[in-house]
Amino acid sequence: MKSRYATAKNVFLDSIDIDDYIELDSSVVTYQLLEQSIEKPLKMILLFGKPGTGKSILLNRLHKKLKQQKEIYYFDTPAANEKEFFYKLFKVLAQQKLPNNTEINFSALIEFCQNLRGKREIVILLDEAQMYSAEIMEKIRLLSDTRTIKFVVSLHKTEDEDLIAKEHFQSRIWEVIELRNATNKEQTSYIHKKLLKKNLFEIANSIKEKDMKLIHKFTKGNYRECNKLMFTIFEICEYYDKNEPAKINYAKIPKKIIEMSALKLGYIHV
Amino acid sequence: MYDIKILEDNWEKYKIKKRKPWYIFIFFILVVIGIIFILLKSDFTFFSDDQNFFTKINDFTISKTKLNNNSKDYALINGPLNRLELIEDTSKNIKKVDVSNDLLVDIPILDIPDESISTQVDALKRKKPHLNIIESTNVKAYKDVEKRFYESHDIDDGLFLARSYYKKENYKKSEYWSLQVNKLDTNVEESLFIFVKSKIKLGHKNEALGILISYIKKSNSKEAKNLLLHINNNKF
Repeated sequence: MKSRYATAKNVFLDSIDIDDYIELDSSVVTYQLLEQSIEKPLKMILLFGKPGTGKSILLNRLHKKLKQQKEIYYFDTPAANEKEFFYKLFKVLAQQKLPNNTEINFSALIEFCQNLRGKREIVILLDEAQMYSAEIMEKIRLLSDTRTIKFVVSLHKTEDEDLIAKEHFQSRIWEVIELRNATNKEQTSYIHKKLLKKNLFEIANSIKEKDMKLIHKFTKGNYRECNKLMFTIFEICEYYDKNEPAKINYAKIPKKIIEMSALKLGYIHV
Repeated sequence: MYDIKILEDNWEKYKIKKRKPWYIFIFFILVVIGIIFILLKSDFTFFSDDQNFFTKINDFTISKTKLNNNSKDYALINGPLNRLELIEDTSKNIKKVDVSNDLLVDIPILDIPDESISTQVDALKRKKPHLNIIESTNVKAYKDVEKRFYESHDIDDGLFLARSYYKKENYKKSEYWSLQVNKLDTNVEESLFIFVKSKIKLGHKNEALGILISYIKKSNSKEAKNLLLHINNNKF
């Protein structure tokens, strides 16, 4: 028989699936800000925040929502090299694949984009932009200058990456949107909404306020870490449910299990 | 799935590690409390000793009946101690006053079998101030004791007076007071001895010997025999 915790566990599988998107007050505000920025005549928009703050899912959602209204493209994985990047870009601009044994002439590409100005307005969402080389970033900057392509650049926020952002985009980025870790209240809401979305009311109810505080303390409000911790918690619960049901309290997730999960994930150490 | 047993073991270790600062804190607090307690106790003992001293003196002075059963010398202590209470605070002044040997002779040494009493008397002996009080209030002190004797007919008061006058070589009075005690209790051997000695000093040796011999016959007292020996050897 399938444990009640098996479903709960899978709710927290890390994904950027739009169906898993949880609307929180802060994410709604960020989304609206991003949507408004795209409407503005900006060349580049920088979306940054620590890993796991929901940048990818936000871009994904934006893409899904606007793709019917705008010419918007989502580059979820960074190109391994310049050639691959321009191959993808050519496909977007020319609406066709690059013929075999051909290469992109960057000057010609700039000229092509300039010719498209006023005719087409293309939005490219670049996820994990910190993985692009400085050369590619420089060419992205030149392409944005044509005002045909608007780039939304998503970056991890670290000290080094802040530096990259400053060096390469300072003069061109007109809008900066920062995503922050969730507060305890937001994270509680996130966990509850995720579980309720799958009708796991009893399980949602078994995580008490104190437990939420502890979870927030361990994950520091990071959504990705929260997903990982919740997955592990329910996985351990599932084990006890199947093998040692006497050790589990269905009305309340034991603190012991939360701490065991934190130990497993390295948030705390022996 | 992970190895839950290992995870549980790690959790137990984590729990101990987490509580460690509390254990250390509690241990530290206990050590601090222990030190404070020891310090307080030592201070308290010091203070308490003094307090006991005064308490015992008060008890001694006030509860006369307690002493009646145990001590022949109640009257002796009673007077001086009453004064000791009063002048304790002025001990500095008292120390400045010279104590003459004569005066020391004037005050009979207590020989109280009871340990607690003897401790207090020792303490009193160490504290010379009470001697000065006797000096300054000497006559009045005897008058007070005499007055008290007539009121209470206390044997200890009478004995004190007999003993004191004898030492002061006022044999008339020592004879009188020893007789008063003997009237109250014929078993108080000391009163008889003082009476006999006073008689001898007053020149009534035969009469004194007659009384002593008849007492020896009656009681076979070793002390009385010794006294007789002393008299016969002309040690008076």
